[in-house]
Amino acid sequence: MGSIAEPWGISESENANYGTPKGLSRELRHGKTAHNMSSSSLRKKSDLRLIQKVPCKSLQNVLSNLQEVILGTKLAVLFLAIPLAVIADYYHYGRPLIFGLSLTGLTPLAERVSFLTEQLAFYTGPTVGGLLNATCGNATELIIAILALANNKVAVVKYSLLGSILSNLLLVLGSSLFCGGIANIRREQRFDRKQADVNFFLLLMGLLCHLLPLLLKYAATGEASASLINKMSLSLSRTSSIVMLIAYIAYLIFQLWTHRQLFEAQEDDEDNAYNDEVTVEETPVIGFWSGFAWLAGMTLVIALLSEYVVATIEDASDSWGLSVSFISIILLPIVGNAAEHAGAIIFAFKNKLDISLGVALGSATQISLFVVPLSVIVAWTMGIKMDLNFNILETSCLALGIIITAFTLQDGTSHYMKGLVLMLCYVIIAACFFVDQIPQPKGTGLGMQPKNSVGGGFVSA
Amino acid sequence: MAGIVQEQWSAAENGNATMTTKGSSRELRHGGRTAHSMSSSSLRKKSDLRVIQKVPYKGLKDFLSNLQEVILGTKLAILFPAIPAAIIGTYCGFSQPWIFGLSLLGLTPLAERVSFLTEQLAFYTGPTLGGLLNATCGNATELIIAILALTNHKVAVVKYSLLGSILSNLLLVLGTSLFCGGIANLRREQRFDRKQADVNFFLLLMGLLCHLLPMLFGYVGNGETSADLIADMSLNLSRASSIVMLISYIAYLVFQLWTHRQLFDAQDQEDEFDDNVEEETAVIGFWSGFVWLVGMTLVIALLSEYVVATIEEASESWGLSVSFISIILLPIVGNAAEHAGAIIFAFKNKLDISLGVALGSATQIGLFVVPLTIIVAWILGINMDLNFNLLETGSLALSIIITAFTLQDGTSHYMKGLVLLLCYIIIAICFFVDKLPQKQPNAIHLGHQLMNNVAAAVGEGVFSS
Repeated sequence: MGSIAEPWGISESENANYGTPKGLSRELRHGKTAHNMSSSSLRKKSDLRLIQKVPCKSLQNVLSNLQEVILGTKLAVLFLAIPLAVIADYYHYGRPLIFGLSLTGLTPLAERVSFLTEQLAFYTGPTVGGLLNATCGNATELIIAILALANNKVAVVKYSLLGSILSNLLLVLGSSLFCGGIANIRREQRFDRKQADVNFFLLLMGLLCHLLPLLLKYAATGEASASLINKMSLSLSRTSSIVMLIAYIAYLIFQLWTHRQLFEAQEDDEDNAYNDEVTVEETPVIGFWSGFAWLAGMTLVIALLSEYVVATIEDASDSWGLSVSFISIILLPIVGNAAEHAGAIIFAFKNKLDISLGVALGSATQISLFVVPLSVIVAWTMGIKMDLNFNILETSCLALGIIITAFTLQDGTSHYMKGLVLMLCYVIIAACFFVDQIPQPKGTGLGMQPKNSVGGGFVSA
Repeated sequence: MAGIVQEQWSAAENGNATMTTKGSSRELRHGGRTAHSMSSSSLRKKSDLRVIQKVPYKGLKDFLSNLQEVILGTKLAILFPAIPAAIIGTYCGFSQPWIFGLSLLGLTPLAERVSFLTEQLAFYTGPTLGGLLNATCGNATELIIAILALTNHKVAVVKYSLLGSILSNLLLVLGTSLFCGGIANLRREQRFDRKQADVNFFLLLMGLLCHLLPMLFGYVGNGETSADLIADMSLNLSRASSIVMLISYIAYLVFQLWTHRQLFDAQDQEDEFDDNVEEETAVIGFWSGFVWLVGMTLVIALLSEYVVATIEEASESWGLSVSFISIILLPIVGNAAEHAGAIIFAFKNKLDISLGVALGSATQIGLFVVPLTIIVAWILGINMDLNFNLLETGSLALSIIITAFTLQDGTSHYMKGLVLLLCYIIIAICFFVDKLPQKQPNAIHLGHQLMNNVAAAVGEGVFSS
């Protein structure tokens, strides 16, 4: 393990040695978004000495490949939860246990998927790599959403996506700014607000798309029948979803081609500081096909665990006494975002707020303008009537979350108070869904036509 | 008058200028002041002690000078006679609206005097404790009125008066300050430090979230959900949110008084009143100040009691709704002293102080007085939640957002002030024409009283499960 001299003087020495400077310099050459940059802070440099002793060459390769992929993260201990979940399911242990184990198992998988897409980007070149990253960055959320859709649990889809946006905007960003503010209390904490602003336009546009179907319901007078309103809301949602996807494509073009410099501004200053290290050329640690196979395999495992999560969420809700909305909005996203969350905080400690912001806001934008409309369209092709109408409580939380965060990031500087306020807002929203004991027929009722008999399964749970 | 200080700046306010200079330079040495108390001081007069010097006995002389400093040290002193008048009115059976009016008048100078006394005490306690004291007592009047209204089970009045206080600080005080400042300094650039303002807006927006969520519970419920369940959820959420709000207020105090003082003190360093080096000393002793403070608090409590008791009668006989009186009239009176101070500083193009007063006061009410009231109500067993109604929450939301947008660029002109002022007028008109009977908040509250036991049982169930 090479000990690298640290030019900057911040605490995190352990993480600084491994991965991060490499991660940073690697970003310079590949079209990486800040999103997976921060995940990389959880990686470990593999120690290959043991494997060198294995006599057979091909076995040695397999082992080193395995070690890179499985043990290359600090979250590797959590991989144990995956077989446990499968075993628990096979032997029909308590369903809440399966739920908990699956959630735990998903945490390292989310990080590994972003590692693998990054590895593949070495072979595909920066542009395709950037696209790949932008698409797979929230693969876990997408897979959970699609599986929940396949099980006709529209409410869970909506809640988990909303929760993911809120958690990125308030929790991830809040704790990053708070930790960054405390760690650098005497230093000025600056970031580039142009990058943040782009995300806010898009998030506000997404908010509009959620707001209008909601308001259709309130605009209706007594004469309008419920089915007419549902139909209007559904058509509007599907159209809006297409518009949102167009906006997301434009955002990718903006981010990866035409205005790259906006998103890479922070790395230029880093370049000067790390001249001595940047010269070390980073090479992919696994081959293209091996990476591709791993990616496909991991996606399958994610799908399996997501299936467990989706199937057991109501039982977990019953036995833990937490509402489904609380579990979907608060617990699922915390687990799904754990890796990015840790990364964002670590970068904030190092006063690299641009990366933290890129992670939190980029992820929120991606979910709001890519995963959400994609779910609506997937639901459309499956014949499930899912619209963009989150309920009024959820939409208001989203609206205030976006507005507060946008105000927080207006002036391009940060201090711990900003982070604290964002975190406390998240606590209030969590408390709101914690005390919310209203039975949930509405989520399904709005999400699907009442006549859709399959939807009843969720209500009765 | 004692020392004639040369005036180098050319703002209009000749009369006040002499006193204010003292005020400003005094602040420089006692860091624990918030802009809030700074602006109240602009209404002070230097006492003229010549008459008292002639009194032969030393003890009597001290006593009289003390009395003069405290009672006559403000330009609002002429309003003090309203206090005995209100008390006499109660005993002689004046009509209730008269007592209401007199009590309101009497509260105006008392609010200013309390801030004077806390400032005097800050001389003895040191800057940090003094800052805390100021931050806590700055809106003592509002807090006392709120608590007394609570003990009288007038939850609606509490909510309205606190909401009105936030609105009046955000729109009226800030609007008139920016407007007057803009007119007086028409050709000059009017700058302020937006970082200080921003901190207040995050907190206010967080407060808004706390008001919004319990309100929305009422709209989520469909036919099947009982009103009790919703009221209960809203109450639990409100209490949890109140604790979070108090935490954020404590963090705000830490931020303001310790870790990021420079943000809030920046404006003082630019003061160019170098001639004013004379050391300012406390004009009254610690214990005397403390006794006065306790006494004044008692008088405020008495007058607040009158105000709370007579508000409905005043409303009926004046033909104004209780909501209008609580949202518009009460806060104008309660904030009069700070209001005047904020305008005076705006005339002198010291917008940072004006902003500090208006926003600081709004934040203090939104994140300290409101949650404290909820918690006091909790202790008293009254079911008060953070659910202001739709109209009130809407007004609050738009006021916060408009003000936040207004202060985005760090400069000001009279148009900004005018728009804020006009927003306040629109809101005032809205509550003026609002003749809907005010049952709802009270009804919810009464319903709570009846359901108290059931609600408590269910509430425990929620948390224990």
